[in-house]
Amino acid sequence: MTLYRLNHATTYDYTEPVVIGTHFMHLLPRERPGQIVREAQLDIAPGPDNRRDEIDHFGNRTTSVSLTGAHKQFSVTLSATVEVNQPLPPHASQTPRWEAIAAWAQQEPEVVEFCLPSKLAAPGGGVADYAAVTFRPGRYILEALLELNQRIFTEMSYRPGVTNNFTTALHILHTRTGVCQDYAHFMLACLRALGLPGRYVSGYLRTLPPPGQEKRRGADQSHAWVSAWAGPDIGWVDFDPTNNLMATDEHVTLAWGRDFTDVSPLRGVILGGGRHILTVGVDLEPVLT
Amino acid sequence: MQPIAPLDETLDRQGRTKAPWAQILSAIREIGNDELGRRTAALNRQMRLAAPLGSQLTRLYDPLPALLTAEDFAVLEDAVRQRANLLSQVLEDVYGPQTLLHRGQLPPALVYGDPYFLRPLHTLAPLPAPRLGLYAADVIRAPDGRFLLMRDHTGVIPGLGHALTLRRLTNGTLPELFRMGDLRSIRPAREMLIDHLQREAEGGLVALLSDGTVDKFDGFDDTLLARALGVLMIEHADLAARNGALHIKTLSGLLHVSTIIRGVSGIDLDPLEQGGRPGAGIPGSFGAIRAGVLSILNAPGSKLVESEALLPYLQELFEPLLGEPPWLQRADEHSLELASTAPFLGPDGTSIKAPHFLRLFAWHDGQDWQVLPGGLGLPLNAAGAPAGLGTKDLWVLDSEEPRMISGAQPAEPPEKVKFLAAAHLPSRLADNLFWLGRSVERLEAAVRLLLLAIPRLESGTSLPRDLAERALISRCLAQAGLLPADIAGTAISGRLLRQTLARRKPIAGLLKEVARLVDASAERLSPSMLATVRFALQQATEALPNEEAALSTLLSFTATFAGIAAENMSRDGGWLFLEMGRRLERGDALAETLAILLDGPVERLEPGMALGIELADSVLSYGLRHAGIMAPGPVLAMLLADMSNPRSLAYQCHALRACLERLGADDDAETAKQLLQDIVNLAGNGIALRATLSNAGARLRTLSDHVQRRFFTLLPAAHALEEDELLEAAQ
Repeated sequence: MTLYRLNHATTYDYTEPVVIGTHFMHLLPRERPGQIVREAQLDIAPGPDNRRDEIDHFGNRTTSVSLTGAHKQFSVTLSATVEVNQPLPPHASQTPRWEAIAAWAQQEPEVVEFCLPSKLAAPGGGVADYAAVTFRPGRYILEALLELNQRIFTEMSYRPGVTNNFTTALHILHTRTGVCQDYAHFMLACLRALGLPGRYVSGYLRTLPPPGQEKRRGADQSHAWVSAWAGPDIGWVDFDPTNNLMATDEHVTLAWGRDFTDVSPLRGVILGGGRHILTVGVDLEPVLT
Repeated sequence: MQPIAPLDETLDRQGRTKAPWAQILSAIREIGNDELGRRTAALNRQMRLAAPLGSQLTRLYDPLPALLTAEDFAVLEDAVRQRANLLSQVLEDVYGPQTLLHRGQLPPALVYGDPYFLRPLHTLAPLPAPRLGLYAADVIRAPDGRFLLMRDHTGVIPGLGHALTLRRLTNGTLPELFRMGDLRSIRPAREMLIDHLQREAEGGLVALLSDGTVDKFDGFDDTLLARALGVLMIEHADLAARNGALHIKTLSGLLHVSTIIRGVSGIDLDPLEQGGRPGAGIPGSFGAIRAGVLSILNAPGSKLVESEALLPYLQELFEPLLGEPPWLQRADEHSLELASTAPFLGPDGTSIKAPHFLRLFAWHDGQDWQVLPGGLGLPLNAAGAPAGLGTKDLWVLDSEEPRMISGAQPAEPPEKVKFLAAAHLPSRLADNLFWLGRSVERLEAAVRLLLLAIPRLESGTSLPRDLAERALISRCLAQAGLLPADIAGTAISGRLLRQTLARRKPIAGLLKEVARLVDASAERLSPSMLATVRFALQQATEALPNEEAALSTLLSFTATFAGIAAENMSRDGGWLFLEMGRRLERGDALAETLAILLDGPVERLEPGMALGIELADSVLSYGLRHAGIMAPGPVLAMLLADMSNPRSLAYQCHALRACLERLGADDDAETAKQLLQDIVNLAGNGIALRATLSNAGARLRTLSDHVQRRFFTLLPAAHALEEDELLEAAQ
């Protein structure tokens, strides 16, 4: 078990006053097996004149605010205490064959949705061939997932700034370059090409790695990875292809969906504002292990 | 065995003509083909006149009704109600507890994979208003007399505006038919629907959201529906979310919109949650729906149950959900081919029997589904109905027995037009009407000036008076933007003016702006007004290629426009803005032009005064009053201070003041009053004419700015916070 203290501050500084701002956020961490949110708070400045905290279709926590007073700065600060205690998955050879998982998924209303293509993570154009190299007939699901995770880690180059929030998995198949979001979308497309369910998970990675290990990609920032389903007994298992890790106790989950579009941390439509400067700071420190 | 043939709606089982049809058919025989053809054309013309400018009208209308007996209607009424009930329950479940998915009664993959399943509207608790509030069903009649379902409409309801309007028009086209007995009126139903909508809105506004481009039935079903229900027609950009609810900016400030009838797709309605372009939807609308401060008919995502793939499963849900079998079976391809036929009027007035289907409409009144005792009858092209046949009004007859009523009795009493307070005029429309007024006046002023200038520049002598006159004219032309300022200083010839006009085409630009604004204001102009303006505008546009030759046609366009505005518009909010635009433009141009013409020592003012009188179209009245002798006193009195001269400066100020007072803009009205006094004083003393007139022009422009800020200032365009920048945060 690891207890984390999480801080995530997002600030927009505008060159001109914003007259009306409406924002929609996925910034409060959800509960999940292996994760207990002891305390979480989202502070918004300036104080909104309307705020709604809701639960979305996927069970994520959302916050909508509207600001009608003119303002030149908008900031959102999440502070939370989260307990992470992911059980270790069974040995790969004790997991079902991947074909059985694909068949099972069709029977599970909660799962089948994640087998379907989504805007940014749809199979097609050779994704299936890429995946088939690993998912040979009869392989154990966990074995194949670990290999796919590693292949994507090895065969993609990590480079910020070359992709954006509209970059699709198909594009990544050709460029093999991007950030965590792209790694995740690509892996999801591979799973879905095989009829396997996969979720896009947004969250955080601990800022400093455990002693003696190198610094992870995507720490100090929002992070994203993949959750794959391994049957009704094992449930969802998380893979971080950007770091070639299984998510156990270094990852804190914020929200999940079919792809980034479902869980974008902060969206806004503003009137006025001119240009803006965005500052983001993330800090995830273990306070108790 | 005899092959099964489509049912002929005019015949009973024994092959005899049904009583109501016997009457109709004999009535149209009496009228004759030629006359019928003319009346059909008249009906189509009438519908086109009712359409807003610029809408694409491809639909044709048929004055012959489609008929249902009371018994047939009762059967359909039950079936439509049952179906609407089922679809409503399915939607509430799929967007709520999803029991049907968990039990496997609907395949989850079909629901989750459907683009019309909108996840943001999947809520734990039901919404305050049912997601399905309006419903329509397309049905055909099979050879055995049973009705079969062709398709459901659960998203945007196509044709409801027509269904509520067509009767009023067909009534006038074939009054002979309305002598038949006991045609059930749709009016009580319409009024119940209006009452229900207004009651549910609890004091908030009910509005119809239309983007004017969706060609779901035809270009103007939305307009007809908004008129029939007496609700405001709005566009995405009229709405903004504040404090979590939607508001529209109107002349009386921000008003809460609590009910929206949806004339646009719901699929990308909320750019905030769905990530689309802010201008293409209403940011915050989904949150407002979930919070219960906005209800949309039908809720976005309700089109889900129209899905072809879900249909077979839906059919199996009647027993488990309602405890009864479906009253309507689905039509398959084979049964479509055997759809019953009804008589249609061809373009030449002959009647043709063609396969058809009926569209019935229903709404939920908070307790139960109400089915409109009417609807539409449409040619079924898929079953071989020829192109060129029209849409029919659907009649429900309460008794088969004909009852002769002497004389043409209107089946529907005249409509009570619901009054829309001027205060609810959306700022966008007020803004358009204001600029329409300005642009028509600007066009007229330009035309008048050119009509005056061209002959004088052409044939002037080198006498000092003519030279002075030409110099004045060229300064006026430059001031009006018809000549570049650098040319205006030189002695300009008629040829040079012509060349400049041919090259720069200033009139074409002005006319184009007028046409654009007429389009934008179309919903506030009455059908006949629109038709007249459109016709005049078309003539003016056709005359344009030769700008010089077009001048007189253009003048007749502006005169037509002014006449129509004066005679055909009620003096409500819309007219007030058109009028203010016109008066401000005329006042400003007049002040600036007179500042040029009346510049100089009194003894040299004669040419300028003469031009001023002519430009103000006052030659005749000046001649009558003052025997044509130009003297500063009477000229200034007539051009500046004469309140009975609609082209005097004082008149413009006075008219402006009256408009502003009616709009409750007291401080601006006071400004107009001050200006009026100063102008009257100026006419009396003639001191510092040029400076005072220039100053009056400037004051009018300031007033115009005030009016715009007070009434229209729209919010700056919305934009999404750059998602690309967020990527930094999303790695």
